[in-house]
Amino acid sequence: MIANDRVDFGAAPGSIHAIVGGNGAGKTTLMRMLQGIEQPDEGDVIINDAPARLANSSDAFRRGIGMVHQEFMLVEDLTMLENLILGAEPVTPGGLIDRKAARAAAEAAEAQAGVKLDWDIRVAQAPVHRRQILEILRLLYRGAEVLILDEPTSVLAPQQVRDLLALLRKLRQEGRTIIFISHKLDEVLAVADDITVLRAGRVVGSAKPGQTSAAKLGAMMVGEEIDFPHRTARTLAGRAPVLAVQGLAALDTRGVMRLNDIDLVVRPGEVVGVAGVAGSGQDELVATIVGLIQPARGTVTLDGRDITTWPIAARRGAGLGYISADRSREGLCLSATIADNVIAGRHRAAPFERMGLLRPSIISAHVRRALDAFAVVRRDEADPVRSLSGGNQQRVVIARELDRAPNLLIAAQPTRGVDIAGIAFIHREMLAYIERGGAVLLVSEELDELLLLSDRIVAMHHGRATGEMRGEQADIDSIGRLMLGEAA
Amino acid sequence: MSDAAALSAAGAPRFNWIAAAGVIAPFVIALIVGALLLLASGRNPFEIYALMVTEGFGGMSRIAATLSAATPILMCAVATAISFRAGVFNVGVEGAFYVGGLAGAVVGFTFVALPSPVLIVTELAAGAAFGGALMTLPGFLRARLEVDEVVTTLMLNFIAINLTGFLVNTVFLAPRTGNSATPMIVQSGWLPRLAPSSTFNLGFVIALALLVAYHLWDRYAPLGFEARMTGINARFSRAVGIDVPALIMKVMILSGLVAGLAGSVHAAGLLHRFVAGFSPGYGFTGLAIALLGRNSAIGMLLGSILFGALASAGTTIQLFSDIPIELVDVLQGTVTVFATVRLTQLTLHRRGGRS
Repeated sequence: MIANDRVDFGAAPGSIHAIVGGNGAGKTTLMRMLQGIEQPDEGDVIINDAPARLANSSDAFRRGIGMVHQEFMLVEDLTMLENLILGAEPVTPGGLIDRKAARAAAEAAEAQAGVKLDWDIRVAQAPVHRRQILEILRLLYRGAEVLILDEPTSVLAPQQVRDLLALLRKLRQEGRTIIFISHKLDEVLAVADDITVLRAGRVVGSAKPGQTSAAKLGAMMVGEEIDFPHRTARTLAGRAPVLAVQGLAALDTRGVMRLNDIDLVVRPGEVVGVAGVAGSGQDELVATIVGLIQPARGTVTLDGRDITTWPIAARRGAGLGYISADRSREGLCLSATIADNVIAGRHRAAPFERMGLLRPSIISAHVRRALDAFAVVRRDEADPVRSLSGGNQQRVVIARELDRAPNLLIAAQPTRGVDIAGIAFIHREMLAYIERGGAVLLVSEELDELLLLSDRIVAMHHGRATGEMRGEQADIDSIGRLMLGEAA
Repeated sequence: MSDAAALSAAGAPRFNWIAAAGVIAPFVIALIVGALLLLASGRNPFEIYALMVTEGFGGMSRIAATLSAATPILMCAVATAISFRAGVFNVGVEGAFYVGGLAGAVVGFTFVALPSPVLIVTELAAGAAFGGALMTLPGFLRARLEVDEVVTTLMLNFIAINLTGFLVNTVFLAPRTGNSATPMIVQSGWLPRLAPSSTFNLGFVIALALLVAYHLWDRYAPLGFEARMTGINARFSRAVGIDVPALIMKVMILSGLVAGLAGSVHAAGLLHRFVAGFSPGYGFTGLAIALLGRNSAIGMLLGSILFGALASAGTTIQLFSDIPIELVDVLQGTVTVFATVRLTQLTLHRRGGRS
């Protein structure tokens, strides 16, 4: 497949160049070529007016190109300082790591970026936005002149986004070039000097922030009119809750308390949104409700039954559906067929099994119906699910979970890595499910999504619920303050 | 990309030509390596290989010998593949083969009065039961305490081999002998021969039936489905409600049952007793075959027949030429190395990365 088709773009030295595009637009492939991770079949990467062959990412590093990936490349058990110098450690004449020189380099990088970090804590103890700054400083330490940032704001609270954008402006002032990949148009408009829009592997437009708008960019990204769903106001007084969580507390795998005495109720016909900076306890909240981890304290009640100690299969049997935030590792079995992915978990239930044997023809007929209902574009149900685009993969997950007609759907980042059209589709399906009397606990890092879908929004900070707002009264700024532990 | 996925050990067991090439390629490379060795020692490789083909497949009796030699390898391959499917790297098939062999032999020389079919079934059942029982320990350790099964099953091999060796030299030693062997299984307890004046016996039919059962298990049994999904992605399996620890336990025991059965078939079909050094490494050869055939029934069948041919040709080829039997070891070793490299997957990966 052609992921990038005759893409031309140039970033001027000392500028911030934004690349926007939906998922599958080819942003990642383009950046991988700039990093030397993939080689172009045609065309050149030109650095300082000379074509450059980048064989791998250390090649790119030598040419002054560094990248902060969406998933950070840090060693959690090492300190911030050790992570900074990892791969290019200053060495004493005796062959040992020169800690003094490392410290000096760290301070120099801090000064360039105008930030302060606590260098002696382990990365595992550092909050996400500090880790991100560390990633950026690491590129400065390695002498990168061109910094590529892949969706850098997706893990941040609104106020932290502002700090990051200020940091990028500071680096621009220093004369560095920044390539900023994002699908959040407001941020792009706020910080970029030039904007290139990709769609289906081609450049479909470029613009300067002063001469365009979020609406125009959005139209370019999508290339078609999209019918965005709208929430209708719902009244839900007095219904018995589907899900009740009381005094729930949980530890992560390191034994750190991540979830602290959360109380939460979800009623039939409502969407309860959970907002929080990454690592605020949402993951543990989801994992304890689904049954992936056992809580340290507290109870989980589903339809009036205490399911706190139930195994996962029993919870699912009792009507719990789950969209995992980690689609590629938990939500789907990528190398298995699409059909296997749809049927997994129900393969022992009638009519898919009889007398100890699976019934392939009944399974594939059912799978075909379910996939059609969710408009999954595919060639054959026997193809590996890996062969689908990200948006279609997520539709397979949603087809599996909603096809079971659950009483409660736990939706963690349900539109992560999905293009705009796919997001609208998924939102429509979730709202239709709510209309049928379903209930959704929605955990998302996209505040727009929370505001669009939620009847109530609960904000979390350091494992505690810091406040709750009605969906129609909530706004990004007040939720942002709650996410940082401040009063709304 | 989709081809590479379909090729993976965990993919659906469909016959495809790329997978078949993956089985054949290591043999071709091994033949080239062997040819170079033969050339270096001043011999004509074509002559030697022609001799080996004749010795392996030339005539009914040679084919019978080849299939007879393939029987324990094929059964051990199936035993290994069952656990590999679920992502459990059981390397304890060799040990279970010993335990099953001793159990079958003991039944066969003890309950001599039983009618022949009953006695045979009892032997095989005892072999399977002891093999399965042996694997409950590493199964439990892996499933409940997350102890690495490679270490436990590898170590358990030593225990199984030496414990059976001890027993065959003490309580089960044949009277008036000193050669580390049990008494002979009573003749009614032998698996029937399928060709006169050869060692070819019902064991091969049992192995084939087992292979078919494995294929059906893999495609149609819920447990086979769960094993396949868990082998690819255990986290996914857990999230959709599959009890992964219980699955690992079941798969480990099933693997042990088949390995024990293989041992008792070998005892009842070929040796007619248990001896120290009962297996020349069938468990490990089977493991190589499971890797080579990527857990697919057809791949394992081809692989074990070719290894069986190597073994049976190797033993007789010495009689007719001055070729040392070590040539066969070189060929087997090369095949195993290249089988594990998974050549085709590597090349596909590179192509997939570019497209």
